[in-house]
Amino acid sequence: MQNNNISSVLKSVSKPGRYIGGEFNSVIKNKDEVSCRFAFCFPDTYEIGMSNLGVRILYDVLNKDKDVWCERVYAPWTDMKEKMEEYNIPLCAVESGDSLDSFDMVAFSLQYEMCYTTVLAMLKLAGFPLWAKDRAEDCPIIIGGGPCVYNSEPVADFFDLINVGEGEEVLLEICHLYDKMKKDGSYTRSAFLRAASHIDGVYIPSLYEVSYNDDGTIKEYKPLYDDVPKKIKKRIIEDMDTASYPEKLVMPYIETVHDRIVLEVYRGCIRGCRFCQAGMVYRPVREKSVETLCKQAKCLYDNTGYDEISLISLSISDYSELPALTDSLLEWTDKSHVSLSLPSLRIDSFSDELMRKVSSVRTGGITFAPEAGTQRLRDVINKNVTEEDLMRSVGIAFRGGKSNVKLYFMNGLPTETDEDILGIAALAKKVVDQYYAMPKPERPKGLGVTVSVSCFVPKPFTPFQWEKQDTYSELMRKQELLKSAITDRRIKYAYHDAKVSFIEAVLARGDRRLAPAIAYLADKGQMLDAWDEFFNYDLWIEAFEKCGVDPDFYTSRGFGLDEVLPWDIIDVGVTKNFLLRERNKAYEGETTPSCAEHCSGCGANKLGGKNKWCK
Amino acid sequence: MVQVNETKRFLRFKFIKRGSLQYISHLDLVRTMHKVIVRSKLPLWYTEGFNPKPKMIFAAPLSIGTESECEFMDIRMSEYIEPEEAMARINANMTSEMQIIEAYYPESKFTDLKWMSYRITLTPVEIDDELVLRSNQLLLADTVEVVKKNSDKTIDIRPLIKSANATRVGNSIVVDAILSADPSSFLNPEYIVKYLKEKGGLLSDPDLTSEHYEILRLKAYFADMTEFR
Ligand code: SF4
Repeated sequence: MQNNNISSVLKSVSKPGRYIGGEFNSVIKNKDEVSCRFAFCFPDTYEIGMSNLGVRILYDVLNKDKDVWCERVYAPWTDMKEKMEEYNIPLCAVESGDSLDSFDMVAFSLQYEMCYTTVLAMLKLAGFPLWAKDRAEDCPIIIGGGPCVYNSEPVADFFDLINVGEGEEVLLEICHLYDKMKKDGSYTRSAFLRAASHIDGVYIPSLYEVSYNDDGTIKEYKPLYDDVPKKIKKRIIEDMDTASYPEKLVMPYIETVHDRIVLEVYRGCIRGCRFCQAGMVYRPVREKSVETLCKQAKCLYDNTGYDEISLISLSISDYSELPALTDSLLEWTDKSHVSLSLPSLRIDSFSDELMRKVSSVRTGGITFAPEAGTQRLRDVINKNVTEEDLMRSVGIAFRGGKSNVKLYFMNGLPTETDEDILGIAALAKKVVDQYYAMPKPERPKGLGVTVSVSCFVPKPFTPFQWEKQDTYSELMRKQELLKSAITDRRIKYAYHDAKVSFIEAVLARGDRRLAPAIAYLADKGQMLDAWDEFFNYDLWIEAFEKCGVDPDFYTSRGFGLDEVLPWDIIDVGVTKNFLLRERNKAYEGETTPSCAEHCSGCGANKLGGKNKWCK
Repeated sequence: MVQVNETKRFLRFKFIKRGSLQYISHLDLVRTMHKVIVRSKLPLWYTEGFNPKPKMIFAAPLSIGTESECEFMDIRMSEYIEPEEAMARINANMTSEMQIIEAYYPESKFTDLKWMSYRITLTPVEIDDELVLRSNQLLLADTVEVVKKNSDKTIDIRPLIKSANATRVGNSIVVDAILSADPSSFLNPEYIVKYLKEKGGLLSDPDLTSEHYEILRLKAYFADMTEFR
């Protein structure tokens, strides 16, 4: 067999810089001196994967352990994939260039459902069997983690082990257990997985038997052994000030999506938007102190040379010490020609002061997310912002010199009527009017208002987890309705393909019976579904048909309130009772205050964690 | 603080860009260098205005797929720094495939750089001396016609070639060439590869090695063929 590797084909693929590795700050260890080689795979391109904060954190945490060497692996672009197949080049890690069969653990970060086919494509390129049950003793342990694992059931049969929750501690515990069992001779694949199932936050799909009712709903998840937990409790990091955070970042040579310092300010969200999965599954809120953040920011600046620091969290303006944080950062960032960006501003907390701080060096547009077009519907989804909030914020933005405003909405939300849809157009028009209400000399030039509308996808662990998704034709009708209602040519209308949202909805609430359909797609060579140019709706429908899956069962059917849900196996902290209460309040149009105002007893407090609000 | 006089505003760095870094485009190189010099904590001079940036100027941008032992960049400093000191700091902040090999306050301008030499190594599937001979004849021809990239115009690049000759080294043909590096008539060495490939029947192998050639930039010259610095 030819001994081919990536470098022999670099001259004949697009963007070869994706595949070369060798970045400053990347970690090289002696493979003979580590006991666990860990391949961290990102099922998307290098540019996307390099920008992911979770990967950056875990790469750092794992490599801080002297016995572990964590390397990175990304999905090849389709032209490279063809070359790899043609010349028999296996998927390999960026740092060592070694193929994945030389690793002990191969972990995938599952960031969005549409990455599933890419995961399988990568397993194939690595030469591993797709199904966990078919893997031999010497095959690396295939791990899944990331936001999708709050319902990993559609892909559970492809993984040996799933990490539920934050991975900083649990991944090391897994490596240490592996090392210990290898050393004392007790290691076999099955003995290891069984022992790993006792670690909090570890889910071993093969240790459960799933049965179904005649109507297709789930009857039961049964652990195969008594010592295997009935529910897997999500892991969290208790204290964000003592938690490990990277001091350096791997510096890409080519431009990546978020090519800057990303400073994680806190985890969780004090709001409770009822459609938002992140807002529920990352509870409870745990903040870092200003002191910790400033230290981390300075250290990262010194070690990277980036000229932009992005303050990241689900809703940055909810950080309780935001003014103090921005003030302390600005003490040195301005002088060092470093700009601050705050990508997740909420409408109701936008201020002139904040505007000055952020725009001090940067131009560009500004984004707000009212999510729904009428107050009634905003109350239903518990997006506690008003039209006045939006108008005030937009006014500040205009006065601050920003003339490009982007507004995010969702269509297909529960209880939505045509009036709510038309409300989106009306709201956008008011933003335009607000601009023209300003005296001409004060207006920034070149007004642009973009209305961006995505389709509602019901997600596990949200108050809307039982909801029906609108049918494709209904979503399209609503999109057309809105299009015809937007008559002002200064308003740009952008909407998402409802077909993608439909497939997303199937996968988001799917169960193990979807796995053959995903494998079918992988066998057809499908990958990078998150990219419009590769998403193939007809092939998905063909896969469902061939594998006996009725997609409507997971979308427009809606789920029964007393039905066993595929994700009931996971304990995220937030209780089903709380979600049910929130659902009922939604239908009453009643809002729920944020955690900062009043604890609503969601159940996440039982996970512990250093925070200000949980009662 | 030592004031920087007119002639010592810019510090020049000569650097290598080897191995896999040949796949980094010029634009990405500029972006990378920006971060390198910031984290090297040099006394950088920044542009005025809304979005201040350090001032970096590069000579003769390299195209993707070419390695180099002879790249130049000028960086404007806000105060005097010993060239050796600056070089050491930068090198500590880069990987081994990209390193500064010389640093000095220059007397010349990049527009004075007229010629650059390259070593082009082609590895055909089968090699015989006949092929080497034919390559040499092609390189010595009175007209060297190639089709311009991104257009269908044919041009004669003869005047842009100072010298070029092919020798056999093992299983490869090595072409040593000195080509125009004048900004107004810069000749990309890829054209030489293309020319030999099309006219000389080299590298017609459909297999993995079909693209097998390497280009290395070696030296830079003034118009009088003394070494540029
Ligand atoms: S326990 Fe209370 S304060 Fe804590 S996350 Fe839940 S609702 Fe918020």
